[in-house]
Amino acid sequence: MKQEISALMDGELFEDEVGYFLDRLKQDPAARKNWAAYHLIGDVLRQPEHIHCDLSAKVRERMHDEPTVFAPRGHAAKQKMRAFALSAAASLSAIGVVAWMSLQIGPEAAPQLAMQQNAMRPVNAHIQGKTNDYLRAHQEFSPGTNMSGSAYFIRTVSYGADEIQMRNNPGKQ
Amino acid sequence: MTDKEVDQQLVERVQRGDKHAFDLLVAKYQRKLGRLISRFVRDSAEAEDVTQEAFIKAYRALPGFRGESAFYTWLYRIGINTAKNHLLSNKRRAPTSTPFDVDEAESFEDAGLLREVSTPENELMSKQVVDVVQASLQQLPEDLRSALMLREIEGLSYEEIASVMNCPVGTVRSRIFRAREAVAENLRPLLETSKGNRW
Repeated sequence: MKQEISALMDGELFEDEVGYFLDRLKQDPAARKNWAAYHLIGDVLRQPEHIHCDLSAKVRERMHDEPTVFAPRGHAAKQKMRAFALSAAASLSAIGVVAWMSLQIGPEAAPQLAMQQNAMRPVNAHIQGKTNDYLRAHQEFSPGTNMSGSAYFIRTVSYGADEIQMRNNPGKQ
Repeated sequence: MTDKEVDQQLVERVQRGDKHAFDLLVAKYQRKLGRLISRFVRDSAEAEDVTQEAFIKAYRALPGFRGESAFYTWLYRIGINTAKNHLLSNKRRAPTSTPFDVDEAESFEDAGLLREVSTPENELMSKQVVDVVQASLQQLPEDLRSALMLREIEGLSYEEIASVMNCPVGTVRSRIFRAREAVAENLRPLLETSKGNRW
């Protein structure tokens, strides 16, 4: 306990420990005496010419006549709540933006693109068959369809009718 | 958690009705505040009364303390106002007409002032406390003494002391505690037998 008091007065305890040891100080008069003695030592080391007698007892005596103070909830607590509300709002907006962006490039985006391409360029059934063979053979190298992030790297390619004929009959030129 | 954050936690406890938390703040700041007030009020008995008054005023005003400045800065302002009001009520002028600087108040060197007006009894008690602390310090092993001095005089953090002394932070924490405890052990008989337990 004494070692923790020493660290507490130096501001070297972790936040979760501070509350616990302040509670202990509240309950233990001997611990409060150690707190006072350690502070006296520090003051003597810093300014030995300015040491005067202890006023704690006198102040405590006078405080007996004072009503216990209670701060209305609203100063420190309100400020903390405001900071918390602002950070929560900022986090929610950030999550919203990320969600909206991911929907923009979500799984629906790729089929829509594909449908557009199909509408613009009807594919020859023969070519489709060949392409399917090609895709089946290289399926293991293709990214999963559920990896929407990869849509960015996928590029659609099409051939003109002349090029297809040349590819199918390379000898007829 | 820093020293100022610990003060803020103590303040919040007082604001929730915990008077013991205010005791801890008094124990911590009474000599600093006393030094400050003795710049205005030269009679040591009066300065003592004004210091007590300042603490009571601070206690009453604590519900309005919002933590926008450090607790000690706020307390010192109360101390200065209490001292000035005390002088006004006795129709005396404050020894300084310039705005008061808290940092300056912490570091002022006016030792003669207090000695001039201290009672012989208070002076003897102060001297005994100082002698015991300094003698105890001289008896400490070098590593404990250095760790305590780096903390109290230089104001270094445990991490900085660990770097200077080339040892882990845990060792610094232990050395500072052992140094304080060794000095406190020699000091306790004096603190407990002083007249009216005034230390």
